[in-house]
Amino acid sequence: MSPSNTLSIALRVVRQLVRDRRTIVIILVIPLVIMTLLRYSFPGESSLLNNAYPPLLATMGLLFSFMLTGISFLRERSQGTMERMMASPVSRFDMVVGYLLGFFILALIQILVVVLFTIYALGAHHAPGALWRICIFQIIVVTVGVNLGIFISAFARNEFQMVQFIPLIIFPQILLCGVIWPVDQMSTALQWIAKFLPLKYAINGMTDIMLKGQGLLDVGYEIGILAAFAVVISILAALTLRRGAA
Amino acid sequence: MTSREYTGPAIKVNDLSFNYKNLKAVDQLSLEVPRGMSFGVLGPNGSGKTTLIRLLVGLLKPKYGTIHMMGQPPSRKMSRYIGYMPQLASLYTELSIAQNVDFFARIYGVRNRAERRMQVEEAIQLVDLWPRRRDSIYNLSGGMKQRVSLACSMVHRPPLLFLDEPTVGVDPKLRVTFWEYFQNLNKQGVTIVISSHTMDDAAHCDRLAFLREGRIIAEGTPYELRQATGQSEATLEDAFLYFVVSMEEGNESK
Repeated sequence: MSPSNTLSIALRVVRQLVRDRRTIVIILVIPLVIMTLLRYSFPGESSLLNNAYPPLLATMGLLFSFMLTGISFLRERSQGTMERMMASPVSRFDMVVGYLLGFFILALIQILVVVLFTIYALGAHHAPGALWRICIFQIIVVTVGVNLGIFISAFARNEFQMVQFIPLIIFPQILLCGVIWPVDQMSTALQWIAKFLPLKYAINGMTDIMLKGQGLLDVGYEIGILAAFAVVISILAALTLRRGAA
Repeated sequence: MTSREYTGPAIKVNDLSFNYKNLKAVDQLSLEVPRGMSFGVLGPNGSGKTTLIRLLVGLLKPKYGTIHMMGQPPSRKMSRYIGYMPQLASLYTELSIAQNVDFFARIYGVRNRAERRMQVEEAIQLVDLWPRRRDSIYNLSGGMKQRVSLACSMVHRPPLLFLDEPTVGVDPKLRVTFWEYFQNLNKQGVTIVISSHTMDDAAHCDRLAFLREGRIIAEGTPYELRQATGQSEATLEDAFLYFVVSMEEGNESK
């Protein structure tokens, strides 16, 4: 792996995003609209509302990073720039890590805007001093989403197919990982399936940090599992970028 | 061994075959390209030109046969010495011309900032787009994108250039400039492999291989290929048709 190639790719990804201002606005505004709708759709029960914020923040972190990277990477494949890079000295790990770094910067901005808006504008409850822990934890969630996007993009041939993968990858996680209903109240079989879904650990960790005021070490198990997901998926993603493959 | 020390043929291909499922795209193909020349691979659509180029740059793995470039098999290490221009423009549409060319200079190892700036400018000047260097690729015509793509493939000054239909959509005046530049590169020892289906490009090459159904049906200088027809006024198009008919007659007699 070459650090300079990785940085060149990350810089290029950032430059692409900076020049595409409409996408930036969409990425920043849509989560705020969703959080605002959530806030005003609750009939005033503040404890219920506060319980809904952490799962939604974790879901949005995973969903938006997955969609954005998946579609960007697919475009890289379909417009031929991927082929061009595969013919160059860039390794597949340079590509995956370069993309990860590039989207990281955007994801970080998105996280900060959404978390600050949710806490200060919408008045979401959070444990004292939890703000920076929320941000760090969300970065780990985003890393999983970015790698998942790169990996899944290998199975789609166009943007239309990639969009079809979004419900397939995201909806089962929303249904089984505790966004709508607590996991421990589901059947044993569903609880067992949920163990293999990263959103479960993202929601558990975010809820523990935001509502219970736990530290990053306290949610070390969730962070460890999410990091393992990120590593395994990034290896799988790199394997889809084989040089010499037909 | 560095590319300067190597004195053998730039490209040596032996008995190369590649299939897409049941379709033979390249069939027992052998060729040798000496250094410092423009070698044209000519044939109709579907004759295997693009597959051959993708095999040479290491994007496809041969089913059979061997490839050596500057004495080495294709690898990531070797790719530093190669410039590749795919058939599609393959550019980052949100970025400007200069940002695209700069990115490819970086990933091909032009690390020094001043050197990179100079090489980027030189490549964009060559394709006659310097005044528009800050324009997004979105705002360019097809021919202009093709020119940017060419600039990206040679910004790192590689000793081996693979150009897949580089003159498609390029106006005749600029096409002449391109060929002057290619010949200038040849004089500096750069080997250029060009796939094309236009006889206009073919006439500029030092040597040609006519490709049909993944096989080389004839190889030689444009003059030799024209002479082989036995007609003094024969064009390269006539020569191509002559070899196609000869091949078909040979197949029928078998």
